[in-house]
Amino acid sequence: MAVEFSAVARKTWQTIASIKTGVVLLILVVILAAAGTIVLQRPVTEPDEMQNAYSPQVLRILDTLGLTDVFHSWWFLGLLLLVSSCIIAASVERFPNSWRYFSRPYKYPDESFRRASHPQKSIPIADEESGLVAAQRALHDMGFKPERIVREDHFGIFAERHRISELAVYIVHASLLLIFFGTIVDGFWGWRGTLNLNEGQTSNLVELRDGSARKLPFAIRCDSAGQDNYKDGTPKKWWSKLAVVADGRDIKKKEIVVNDPLLYNGVRFYQSSYGPNGKVDKLSLVAVPSNGSGAAQQIGLAVNDTVSLDANTSVRFVQFIPDYAVRDGQVYRKSNELENPAVHLIVTSKIAANAKDKDKDKNKDYDVWLPPMEEIADNSKAPYMLQATDLKMGHFTGLQVSHEPGQWGVWSGVVLMGIGLAFVFYVIHMRFWAVPVCDPKTGRFSLWLGGSSNRNRDAFEQRFIELVAAVEAELENIPNTSQQEQVAGTAGQRTGSLEAV
Amino acid sequence: MARAKVEQQQPASGMTLIVMVGLAIAFLLFMAFLNVVKQGNLLNESNLLFAALIFYSGAGALYLGFGVTGTESYVKFASFATWLGLAANTAAVAHRWYEAGHPPFASVYEMLLSFVWTLALLTLVAEKKYGVKVIGTVTMPVAIVGVVLMQLLRTDVHPLVPALQSTWLHVHVTLAMLAYAACALSFALAMMFLIQDNMKTETFLTFTSAGTLAIYASVVLTRFEKWGGLNLAAWNPENKAEVFLSKGVRLFVTIPDLGWVMALALLIVASPLLFCGLARWKRNSSFLTIANRAVFLSILIQVMALVMFLIRAREGRYPSLDADGLFPTSLAASPFILSALVGGIFLSLLYLLLLWRRKDLEALLPSAVQLDRITYKTICLAFPLLTLMIAAGAYWANQTWGSYWSWDPKETWAAITWLVYAGYLHMRITRGWRGRRAAYFAILGFAVVMFTFFGVTYLLPGLHAYA
Repeated sequence: MAVEFSAVARKTWQTIASIKTGVVLLILVVILAAAGTIVLQRPVTEPDEMQNAYSPQVLRILDTLGLTDVFHSWWFLGLLLLVSSCIIAASVERFPNSWRYFSRPYKYPDESFRRASHPQKSIPIADEESGLVAAQRALHDMGFKPERIVREDHFGIFAERHRISELAVYIVHASLLLIFFGTIVDGFWGWRGTLNLNEGQTSNLVELRDGSARKLPFAIRCDSAGQDNYKDGTPKKWWSKLAVVADGRDIKKKEIVVNDPLLYNGVRFYQSSYGPNGKVDKLSLVAVPSNGSGAAQQIGLAVNDTVSLDANTSVRFVQFIPDYAVRDGQVYRKSNELENPAVHLIVTSKIAANAKDKDKDKNKDYDVWLPPMEEIADNSKAPYMLQATDLKMGHFTGLQVSHEPGQWGVWSGVVLMGIGLAFVFYVIHMRFWAVPVCDPKTGRFSLWLGGSSNRNRDAFEQRFIELVAAVEAELENIPNTSQQEQVAGTAGQRTGSLEAV
Repeated sequence: MARAKVEQQQPASGMTLIVMVGLAIAFLLFMAFLNVVKQGNLLNESNLLFAALIFYSGAGALYLGFGVTGTESYVKFASFATWLGLAANTAAVAHRWYEAGHPPFASVYEMLLSFVWTLALLTLVAEKKYGVKVIGTVTMPVAIVGVVLMQLLRTDVHPLVPALQSTWLHVHVTLAMLAYAACALSFALAMMFLIQDNMKTETFLTFTSAGTLAIYASVVLTRFEKWGGLNLAAWNPENKAEVFLSKGVRLFVTIPDLGWVMALALLIVASPLLFCGLARWKRNSSFLTIANRAVFLSILIQVMALVMFLIRAREGRYPSLDADGLFPTSLAASPFILSALVGGIFLSLLYLLLLWRRKDLEALLPSAVQLDRITYKTICLAFPLLTLMIAAGAYWANQTWGSYWSWDPKETWAAITWLVYAGYLHMRITRGWRGRRAAYFAILGFAVVMFTFFGVTYLLPGLHAYA
């Protein structure tokens, strides 16, 4: 049983690790992701827009299949996890081989390798040592650090560069996994929401995407917010002056703009929108006494404010309607858009103009509507003629709030991937070998030169041709007299076996 | 045979074309100069662009002449003209940058300006460094179309909305431009590889007719209105902008009868593909001859459709289904339909070039093995650029919207592009895919790039509404 189980496990492992599985999975990801861009997605579409686009039956089918929210569905996540495990398996499967390649470089090419190697070249040499010295010098001049390989029965020159390139692809795969890890962490522990603040308001409740509220351990206060415009009226800048408040103290203050968020305690606050909040900040009025016996005065008031106009008369701002309509003697609110605003004021007089004694201490209220509405109230009865000169609306700042603990995984993954790709594409593992060979028939020596690179073979072949030319040039430079000394000095142990040949 | 004939003609036609192009450039420059003297403002952007257009046209004519006749001396003059055009284009880019105070990537106009510049530069690099001389035959007409489109688009400098005021945006867009240009180059090289790899000429016919068919099919499918009208976006000539009914909803006007022209063009453009299919099915090559004749017919009808489109859509007021009254439209309102129509004609002409001059082309191009390698190398360049582009975009999105990845269609399609090229690299490196399969993969990759660049912007909704 145990054998059978291990056989199944091995088979599964091999399937996951195979590149074919990887490609099939990637094709699936591509198809599903493309479907997710073509079918309208629930999280970013208004419900009635969905209903306009699809018939109820189609919508039901799409919903059942999860195609209306591809990127948050369990099967898409599962697919991405499967891709990740594929990458891990394929890397684990192939890594030992690459590691062996990396940790134990192949420094001395044996005969069968020499026969199959490409590119290669044999140059006739006078003796072994002159060939080795020439190869060593030529490689040194090309910027390599040639190494003399001395084994019991053979010797040669080996030079290489950028061995790390053999492992670069694992760096890229690891970086991809790091990015996936970061996004998964964000998927489980991160959250996003919005926070709308009026100027001066403090809040610690963030409204999340699903409509629920999240309480922060600290509060945010908006001191002021605004919009700067270009000359042509298009918005140039939205800004909000925010303060972090905890335990009744201001801990941090920052003016945020789009592209420059406030970061506190791992939570980021982004400027996302700015606009009127539908509330009146200040209503400016000009009040002129109705009987003409007094100067006009300028007053300003917010909703529920009361301002006295003279010793006996005051005006109160009762109600603001951003978009009004009059029907059956009543004022209705048509919408919350600032389309057709109306204000309701009450002018209160302690002494009415034609007061009898018994009314003396009674207040009399006069309804005033601006703009004037004859069916509702007669503005002219009031002791003051009121005229609106300016209506300043209050503003709110819209903040996006997000907590993404996994983003550092993502960014470090991105940086690592950049490095990995640079190594994969532009750092090439190049190897050169030089081995003196003696032809057993003629007894003549030649220097076998070989090379290999893991990428960009045509450029490497050019390099190899240069090397051959350099070695040939060096061979001409080496005077015959010094050759004997060097042979005696550095390769003495080989002379014995040479003589034997 | 054809080659021998060409070589006989060379001395005469060689000089004639150069002299004609030279005279035309001189004449146009002289006329432009007279105009400038009248206005008294030499170095403004439109003049610079006009100069670039003249030089690029000259270069395009000479490159085309080279492509058709194979006369080497054309290339020298052509690349000289390209240098001059590039100089004027550079000045225009610099002028724009100085005027706007930000690098020119913020609108479709500015993107085109940068794109044409990159294209001209890459053409010269490909020619000088890799010896791919014929590439100008393909890229210069594209550059010319780009400059002509720019004349139609809204050109005034308009300030950046807050979300776009970020260095990361410029990094992102620059990388995108470079990556897409590298992808385009790999596509062109893969096509050349297929020519050198002895792919049958009728297979190219299938490609080019399928391309033109796709163009007319998408125009007819998305814009055809009942009783033969064609829907085009309305244009407000005062604001030089499209008319919006509400946020994101454009007002469309219906040009009567133009829809029938497009439908007819669709039918005729489909015919070469049909005969090609018949030839393959019946194994009868006489259908191929008919298919090649049908290409002529399709070019004729395409030119007719373009001319009708130009005449009807250039100006005039047309009714709309969504609102009462007559509304003006302009070519500037439908730049992508216009460039698609021009592109279709260009595609068919390229096929004719191949049909007539295949032998000469084969002699001009580098060997198949070399082309295969250069294709791979350009993708090795494009892939890291794509990666960095996505990363820079994600970083910018994180700074602006508080989320580095929100599965917005453009993002998703950028990821798909990345995956396709990653697939290419894996198949090539681990499976040893070479030659034709790799070339098909490179072509597929570029098709996805084109969809990401144009298709997503115009067909799918999303956050990338600015560009």
